[in-house]
Amino acid sequence: MNISMKFISRYVDLPSDLTYDQIAYDLTMRTVEVEEVIDTAAKFHDIVVGEIKEVNAHPNADALKVCIVDVGEDDLKQIVCGGSNLTAGHKVCVAKPGSEVVWHGEGEPVKLKETKLRGVSSYGMICGSTEVYLADIYPPQDEREIVDFTDLGVECEVGQCVAAAAGLDDVILEIDNKSLSNRPDLWGHYGVARELAAIYKVPFNELDSKLPEGLPEYPVVIEEPERCNRFTATKIDNVYVKESPAWMKTLITNAGMRPINALVDITNFVLLAVGAPQHAYDSTHVEGEEIIVRLAEDGEKLLLLDEKDLELTHDHLVICDAKKPLNLAGIKGGKDDSVLDTTNSVILECAVFTAPGIRRTTAYFNEKTDSALRYEKGIDTQRADLGVAMALSLFKEIYPDCVFSAFTDNYPVKTENEVIDITQEFLDTRLGEAIDRSEIEDILTRLGYKVEFSDGTYHCTVPTWRSTGDVSIHDDILGDIARLIGYEYFKKQPLPVKFEESIHQVEMDLARRLREYLAFRCCMNEIFTYPWIDEKYINAAGVDFEKSVRLATPPAPELGYLRASLIPGMLETIEKNHRYFDEFSVFEAAQVFEKGEYSPSSEDEVLPVHKNMLSGAFAGKDAKTLFFKAKGVIESMPGYCHFKPFTFKQKMKPSWADEKVWLNIVEEGKIIGSLGLVSVQALTDSGIKLISAAAFEMDTAMLEPYPSRTNEFKHLPQYPLVEQDLSLLVDESVEWADISEAIKYMVKDLKFVEEYRGKQIPAGKKSIMLSLKIGNDDSTMTSKQIEKKMNGIIKVLGKKCGAQLR
Amino acid sequence: MLEKLEKIREEGFRRIAESTDPAMLEAVRKELTGKKSSLQEVLKSLGGLDPDMRRSVGMKANDVKNLFAEKIQTRQEELIAGASAVEGEIDLTLPGIEVSGGALHPITQMCYDLNDAFRSLGFEIYSEDDISSEKYAFDNLNFAADHPARASMDTYWLEGTEDKRGSDRLCLRPHLTGGSVRYLLEHGAPARFVYPGRVYRNETTDARHERAFFQYEALIVDKDISFSSGRVMIEAILEKVFGRKVNVRMREGFFPFTEPGYEIDMECLLCGGKGCKACNHAGWIEVMPGGVIHPNVLRAANLDPDVWTGFYTNIGLDRMVMMRYGVDDVRLFHSADLRFLRQFR
Repeated sequence: MNISMKFISRYVDLPSDLTYDQIAYDLTMRTVEVEEVIDTAAKFHDIVVGEIKEVNAHPNADALKVCIVDVGEDDLKQIVCGGSNLTAGHKVCVAKPGSEVVWHGEGEPVKLKETKLRGVSSYGMICGSTEVYLADIYPPQDEREIVDFTDLGVECEVGQCVAAAAGLDDVILEIDNKSLSNRPDLWGHYGVARELAAIYKVPFNELDSKLPEGLPEYPVVIEEPERCNRFTATKIDNVYVKESPAWMKTLITNAGMRPINALVDITNFVLLAVGAPQHAYDSTHVEGEEIIVRLAEDGEKLLLLDEKDLELTHDHLVICDAKKPLNLAGIKGGKDDSVLDTTNSVILECAVFTAPGIRRTTAYFNEKTDSALRYEKGIDTQRADLGVAMALSLFKEIYPDCVFSAFTDNYPVKTENEVIDITQEFLDTRLGEAIDRSEIEDILTRLGYKVEFSDGTYHCTVPTWRSTGDVSIHDDILGDIARLIGYEYFKKQPLPVKFEESIHQVEMDLARRLREYLAFRCCMNEIFTYPWIDEKYINAAGVDFEKSVRLATPPAPELGYLRASLIPGMLETIEKNHRYFDEFSVFEAAQVFEKGEYSPSSEDEVLPVHKNMLSGAFAGKDAKTLFFKAKGVIESMPGYCHFKPFTFKQKMKPSWADEKVWLNIVEEGKIIGSLGLVSVQALTDSGIKLISAAAFEMDTAMLEPYPSRTNEFKHLPQYPLVEQDLSLLVDESVEWADISEAIKYMVKDLKFVEEYRGKQIPAGKKSIMLSLKIGNDDSTMTSKQIEKKMNGIIKVLGKKCGAQLR
Repeated sequence: MLEKLEKIREEGFRRIAESTDPAMLEAVRKELTGKKSSLQEVLKSLGGLDPDMRRSVGMKANDVKNLFAEKIQTRQEELIAGASAVEGEIDLTLPGIEVSGGALHPITQMCYDLNDAFRSLGFEIYSEDDISSEKYAFDNLNFAADHPARASMDTYWLEGTEDKRGSDRLCLRPHLTGGSVRYLLEHGAPARFVYPGRVYRNETTDARHERAFFQYEALIVDKDISFSSGRVMIEAILEKVFGRKVNVRMREGFFPFTEPGYEIDMECLLCGGKGCKACNHAGWIEVMPGGVIHPNVLRAANLDPDVWTGFYTNIGLDRMVMMRYGVDDVRLFHSADLRFLRQFR
């Protein structure tokens, strides 16, 4: 919303030493956010009032004149001009060199230079209104007309900036509408002026709110008092369409609207002034001399002023005569029955419609009008008094011969003042310091509260303009007091500390350890992907759609499913990155969702099942290496992240995994996750070429974190251990687990070194190299003991695994 | 003979001095004192000399031998003292071997930094689930029944629930604040906790707008605390993020779940509050909303608003990370693009 400081000055006299930047700052801190301070005179720089001294013929062009003009400088200037109404002795608008004008009223402003026109030099330009941003105030009668201040009756001085002469030397505060959403009273200059008067503690000029008396009634029926709390109608005769006076046009323009004609401008002016929307109907079009406020019939039609042809439903409130809808209530007038060129009598509506209906209808038709914006914030019914009084006094001023021939105030629901008690003690505690009673009473009174104090309690009567939802509890009044004192003046207070117990959140700690382990120790990159996932990757991973939850309005048609697994996101990530990197590994920790029942906070709320999943992927050239990399990461995880270890087993192949190369992660017989190579099918379906991948996924809620670190100290060996390497030849069917199981108990340490198949190895066999450590607990091993031990080991390997030494 | 020995000595000294590494010196040692050395030959030939001569040559030969041993020892010490493990030339400007390392997502990094700060202030960490209901996301938080945020143009409702109401209407949570009531219902008051997480809004995306983004919210609930205690939380956040004290100001703001509510601005770090392009010449940048918990929210958490009060603050993690590192497109955070993620260590 645009706030014109000229407009504001009608209602409050602000201290003269205040700068506009200061006002903007204080309003931002205390009331609403001012986004920008705009000097409307800025674009009029070097455009001044000049007086034409002589009008002479141009030697080379009949259509041009050579004028001698006084622009308030030491010498007179010669200006060539083609204007149709150049008159010696008249004051006109002169754009000097350096000013910016819009050529012929079209396009971007152009910087003016001294020039020659048909061989005659010309200092600047005598301008038409479209060329210098004045068309709204002084609409041109013909194309070649220049602005003639003398003819227009504008009082001005030679050399004066045109902005000042036209009343456009204003400062506009551009206010963020969002910050106004809870303050219906600030949707007009009058309300903002009241805030400023309270901030600067200066008098506020209250407006008259007297309604006409003793007039005949104009019939108004309100069928929906819930939707229309009040409807006033004033019949005004003996009016006609004409231009508004310049002062009104400039204020309307400065506040961001466009002047149209005096009848419409009066309603807009009242809206801008006190935030009370109004509408004027051509009274000759109101058939049956009656106004009915009712719900539309389904399918009823209404053509709006903006040419939109509406098909109404039974939820839409309309203002009708005996036969037809005239107006979409509180939002926009109908084209056929609002002010027309021929209008000579109007019905002026100043009504109060309630917010929810306005909001629904506005959204339904996408009609965000100035009027709807105000109604949807919740307007007090008393505001209509201000609106009617102001409008009627403007009619009298602009149409001295007009006649108020009828008036009705149909007022079924009145906004009641909220009455709220607030104690001094509450204020002192919550504000963190004691504020004087006089200060509190002064602040509240200036904001329009009526305050009585007794027994440590302020009995506050909230003004009606704050009683439509804005102020309803004592905390709201606390807020008013605090903001007007200024939040910056309250001292920072330390948080109270209670050392009762330390914070011990093992699950949270584990979640962090897992991520840090994967990132720092396993050198993986953490990624985030969206919870909605492209069906292509869900298909590729073979995840069951049946179990998945869907969005009602997904970001894109193919993104309707919420993830039930992190693997599809991994596939997408590999697909996106594999054109830039040959080898990489990533992980993601996030929630996945499945149809089911889960009530985290209260039984009435049943959510889909959530799982806290951790997934990782390793992409690179050699599939086998990738798998064992992944396995290594999972194997070491319990140790480094301090939770109860799990085991690996092939129980149930995950849908995305390779035929052969996969394992389930098993904890107490339960599958809590899986790892494996990503199947060639899944890679192909994801568009991943020339690269292999291994992946894992596990449910971290199933992990059992230890309350502390679990490292265990073992005594260092007192006698040296002997390291021996063995190279074995075994059948393909013999697994490392068999070998390890066979001799584990005979050695101090056992490590797998490598596996080999090749020329020297017979078919159906493989070679396994291992490294082991043996030793005595009470002495150094002798070579005889070593030999004996090794023979024993080899014998066991031969017996249990059919292994031969190579 | 003595002359020959003198020559051997001179030649030997020269050879020792010319040795440039331990291996070469060892070869020289063998050459000078080994079985086939000229010195050994002299010693072997002693038997054929007359006794006088034998004694003086013998003594001289032994002297030379000892001198060699001494010289070699000294030279060896010299060589070790000045030795390099690397033979030949080395270009020290070559880059070092890269440390292979993964990284946490920059948002996680920021989140953990803040967790550390809040833990030190005695805050617990809480995490709400991603899917919530209208009851927890809006009703409990004092949002008006027809608040625009409840529309499907703003919030992602789940299919099949979008036309229901309250606890039956489910959504991807549009903000974290709903989690505050869940925590308070579970743990009661007094309470101080942070609850970071990802939230979802149905929006058109561009470089500054995302459908999924991260917030970090903190809440303290206690008896008799003043809203000005909330500033400690705000300052803790900003100091942790930017590594130094940052001036903040609180000003009037409005949110359904607070009363009073504030907008919290921080001094623009680029211009130090003087006003520049980055802060739109204001000197201040809006960084987070905050405010006193609304009595209706306390009631929803089964707490008596006449007894308890509290202070919220909520920070947009994406925006903070963007400011911290100068990231200019919020969509990069969910891109899983390693060219982006590998920049943050």
